Amino acid sequence: MQIRMLFTSLALTALCFPTLALALDKPKGEVILTISAAHLDHPNIDETAQFDLPMLEALTSRTGEMETPWTEGKVKFSGPLLRAVLEAAGAHGSTLKIIALNDYSAEVPVEDAAKLDTILATRMNGDTMSVRDKGPLFLIYPFDKDASLFNEKYFSRSVWQIKSIEVSE
Amino acid sequence: MTASTRSSGDVIRKASKATFVLQSFSVVLLMGLIFLLTDISRRYASFQDGVRENALWSVYQLDREARRLHEVLHVMLAEQDYSSVTVKALGTRFDILYSRINILEKTSFERKFKLDSAVERQIADIRSIVLGKVGVFDALALHGLFEPATWTPIDNELEKLVSATEALLVYTNNTVSTDRAEAREEILALQLKSAWLVILLVCCVVVLIFTLRRQLKSVRLAGLSLEAVSNELNDAYLDAEAGNRAKSQFMATMGHEVRTPLNAILGTAELLELSPLPPSVAAGIQTIRRSGQALLEVINEILDFAKIEHGKLDIEIRAVDVLAVVTSTIEMVRDRATEQGNQIALRMPETFGSPVVSTDPTRLRQVLLNLLSNAIKFTSNGTITLSVREIETSQNSSLRFQISDTGIGIDDAGLCKLFQPFSQVDASINRKYGGTGLGLTICKQIIEAMMGRIGVESRKGQGSTFWFEIPLVIAALPIPSAMASDHDLSRTLPTLKILLVEDNLVNQQVAVGFLNHLDQKVTVVGDGCEAVDAAAQEAFDLILMDMQMPRMDGIEATRLIREAEGGRKKVPIIAMTANASEHDRTLCEEAGMTGFQSKPISLQHLRVIIETQGLLMSKAQAEDVQAVDSENSFAMRKAEIEAALGEGTFEELLSSFFDDATKLLEGLHAALATNDYRSADRLLHTMKGAASSIGLQRIADTSQQLRSGDMSENSITRLADTIGELRQRLAA
Repeated sequence: MQIRMLFTSLALTALCFPTLALALDKPKGEVILTISAAHLDHPNIDETAQFDLPMLEALTSRTGEMETPWTEGKVKFSGPLLRAVLEAAGAHGSTLKIIALNDYSAEVPVEDAAKLDTILATRMNGDTMSVRDKGPLFLIYPFDKDASLFNEKYFSRSVWQIKSIEVSE
Repeated sequence: MTASTRSSGDVIRKASKATFVLQSFSVVLLMGLIFLLTDISRRYASFQDGVRENALWSVYQLDREARRLHEVLHVMLAEQDYSSVTVKALGTRFDILYSRINILEKTSFERKFKLDSAVERQIADIRSIVLGKVGVFDALALHGLFEPATWTPIDNELEKLVSATEALLVYTNNTVSTDRAEAREEILALQLKSAWLVILLVCCVVVLIFTLRRQLKSVRLAGLSLEAVSNELNDAYLDAEAGNRAKSQFMATMGHEVRTPLNAILGTAELLELSPLPPSVAAGIQTIRRSGQALLEVINEILDFAKIEHGKLDIEIRAVDVLAVVTSTIEMVRDRATEQGNQIALRMPETFGSPVVSTDPTRLRQVLLNLLSNAIKFTSNGTITLSVREIETSQNSSLRFQISDTGIGIDDAGLCKLFQPFSQVDASINRKYGGTGLGLTICKQIIEAMMGRIGVESRKGQGSTFWFEIPLVIAALPIPSAMASDHDLSRTLPTLKILLVEDNLVNQQVAVGFLNHLDQKVTVVGDGCEAVDAAAQEAFDLILMDMQMPRMDGIEATRLIREAEGGRKKVPIIAMTANASEHDRTLCEEAGMTGFQSKPISLQHLRVIIETQGLLMSKAQAEDVQAVDSENSFAMRKAEIEAALGEGTFEELLSSFFDDATKLLEGLHAALATNDYRSADRLLHTMKGAASSIGLQRIADTSQQLRSGDMSENSITRLADTIGELRQRLAA
């Protein structure tokens, strides 16, 4: 009952505030990505934006076929654009700290998301990726579009087994 | 001079060689450097190509994940915490470790690292341990049931795994470090090589600069020495030129020196021929004259050649009657031809399109004479044909002269030598026929100077045909017909008072002989000074003036005579000279000479001079008669008046005129003193009227002249003088 009321009030608030109209749904399945920041426009759980796979796959996405140092031959990566994910979370900032399951993290300037068609790959060759296959999320730069990205600078930013992103100013 | 030039030339050549070597060396070095740089860049490119995941990092990650899995399991077992969260965390840790194994296997690392068999073996060991645990972990993930009993040995095995990954990490680190050191050494070596090459290149460039500097310096020196050499050459050329000029001067002088006695010989011979002589002597005299003539021709040829060689061939273009030149030339050689038993034929059209052309008659005659003389010389008992015709082509028209003979002819080798100075067809020709060998050269030069062409066709033994063509330029002016009457020997000459100025005794005798023969009154003086004196004392009708004389030469004497004459009538002065150059001619004209006659002077020349002078004089006399006519008007007027008024009346009229005239003159002076020109004019008008009424035309004319402008104290005085003079004359 209380929950219903809460939803109603949220819906009302959404009507009154257009920004809140785009507020994130709560994840229904297993949460695979958590975005946190000092302030998020559309948090859905505890001031963070949490996503399950269907939520991510509903966002604007791209598919690119490319070679990477970590795969053999050409591999097709697909997933939401990083900037679409950030927009969905309503995150603003200059630096993204991408954190992996093994606590490896890389700092990525927000421009990489804004200017490059960087994706959070959810699928490799059409299949979702298990943790053993560097899943569930793999930050993939558009190596197929821009060969100049193919160097260690972007390799180190290409984090796999991503579990969360921290946005900071 | 040449030594320094040669040495600087050597220096330049050596420097050039050095520069070439250095340049080649530099090119080689540069190529080496380029090669090295490409090598470096190639290496760098392969390095770029080899942008791969860092092997060391991956191995480190593997080791780390192995440790963390072991740690999580160990902690779980130790703390006996088997909650679902920790069990899940354990599963995740295994998954991550598994992915790391995959990375090691699938990821592209440095080729060297992958090919290392030790690494391969170690990775295989690690992999088998990890893969061996897949079943257990899969079951754990599926059921979530954690049995500590099953996991304790796994914990131990993981301990082994950790030591294996650690060993791999250490090994990898060593390998990578060694590789890095090797790569660094290799790059260092390359850098060192490049540095050496660069140093060599710099050295080369420095040496090159030095050599170039030296080369430039020697080029400058060479330039200076070349300049010096060129100056020296110029000086040498000037010296040679001066020498050549001296030679020409010498030849001219020699020509003069030879011609003077030759003139005497020829003149004397000619004089002797005029006197009655026994036939044997007459023949001898003729031979002397002929030989003298031939000698004169030779000398003239040599002098002509000297002039041509000096580029002083003067062409004087005048209106020329071609027929007259051709005929007179043939006449000149006819005697000689007859002596050789040759006939001369002239073939030319009845009428020419343009009978009078612009050309140099003297030179044309000279060439014709030369070619005809040659033809006659080399032909005996044959025919020499001179044909003249006009050739019209689309571009220009020319006059072609062709002299064919039936003489000895010339072979091909001989033809080549023709027209070259001092060359005759062969030495035997010279012995047999004589001659300077200059004739054809002179002809060629003359014809070329006249913008014409000259040539020859000949076959040995079949005669020769010499031809030349000169441009046909129709003369606008009619030719003066002075020459036409020249040959009229029968005309009687006027007897003139002639002053002969000549230093050479023989020449004096010859000239006096000629002049006496022509019935002239001759006064002879030996030099310019005497000539000036004689001219001052006596009035001559003609002066024949030699040019080169002791004490005072002809030019100076003429100048002085002209000065002494002042405004009086000028006595004609004819210059006689052996060197008849243009320069001399100009000098004579400047000094005030009337005419110019080149030596030797023949009887014929003298006849023409005297004849012309006589004609001029009779014209002058006619003018004098006119002057007398004006005197006559006075006599007529006097007769008229006396007839009308009786004798004595005229005398009275005359004396009263002179009285009036004196008064009128006084009035004129007074009028002029007060600048009263109107009164003066009136007085002059009166004077004029009075003078003409008694027939004193001169006074009338003078008065009228004064009225028409020239009115001054001086002119009045002159009028007074005229009146006084007439008064005295009439009173006498």
